[in-house]
Amino acid sequence: MIGSGVKRGTAELAILSVLESGALHGYEIARRIEQQTQGKLRFTLASLYPLLYRIEKQDWVRGEWQIGETGRRRRRYRLTSSGKKKVAPLRAEWSELFQALRQLAKVAGA
Amino acid sequence: MPDWNKVVHDHLGGLDLQADERAEIVEELAGHLEEIFDDLRRQGFSEEDATRGCLLEVEDWRGLGLRIEAARRKESPMNNRVRQFWLPGLLTFTLSMGLLAVAEIYGPKPWILRSGNPPIMVVHIPWLLGLPVVGAIGAFLSRRAGGSRRAIFSSIVFPVVPYLAAILFISPVVLGFDHFIAHSPMPAAIPMAVLGLVLTPGVALLAGGLPAQLFFSRRLDSRRIASR
Repeated sequence: MIGSGVKRGTAELAILSVLESGALHGYEIARRIEQQTQGKLRFTLASLYPLLYRIEKQDWVRGEWQIGETGRRRRRYRLTSSGKKKVAPLRAEWSELFQALRQLAKVAGA
Repeated sequence: MPDWNKVVHDHLGGLDLQADERAEIVEELAGHLEEIFDDLRRQGFSEEDATRGCLLEVEDWRGLGLRIEAARRKESPMNNRVRQFWLPGLLTFTLSMGLLAVAEIYGPKPWILRSGNPPIMVVHIPWLLGLPVVGAIGAFLSRRAGGSRRAIFSSIVFPVVPYLAAILFISPVVLGFDHFIAHSPMPAAIPMAVLGLVLTPGVALLAGGLPAQLFFSRRLDSRRIASR
């Protein structure tokens, strides 16, 4: 059964997925998602941070201030252990959604 | 290069959060805009165009502020349902009852509509005229708390719900006992009660609440999912 929060879940999954490869700050997260989806998925500042803060409150990610190579202070986010556990169920839910949509498309095309 | 800290602070400096938390958010978002700006400059954009590009990242600062507050705020004892439905609903109910009491005590004589004998409908015109404002207050409070359309609608019409519930509860009893009471006027009174206590005030509440909902929805834009 696909949950009602699946749409928000896909955005959460996108963030959690790029953080699987290591800690990133907000701008890097947005860039990485855009690059890895060939620009199909794009997070603006306004769409990214409320979501990041929410999943931080849920303890899926943790932000820590660090000084970057340029000397700027940046907040880098890393997956927590509960965040790592969340990735697989979210991915399954997303995959189920696409499978359902493909089936619908087949029925419509038949 | 624009002072991005100042830009963000000008828009989000009033976030309803702890001062240090607010300062961190301003610094983080300013850093994000700075990175975009540098990136656009490296791609050959003029300073003006790069600045414009950065500012396109946020169409609605107020909406962003509300969503950040909602995401960062510590869990309050009141959950969302209380803030989005029960509180606005009970407030509209109290205001509606208070207004009715004032209209009954100090207002002009009510308009009495007779339909048969004795079912009547008593209409307090000042009360009905005040209800759109009550509905608008309910819509505003529910919307400000991030209420869904259903929560907002329920908050608007909440004052008539107890009447409706009472009528629905009483009607089967009245109709059931009607056979035993000679010349009972009650069955005929039920439609009048629905009209006078539910439909008419409900329409008056919605007349103020629905336009207010539309107005505040535009102002308090709450995009919840990532743009694609």
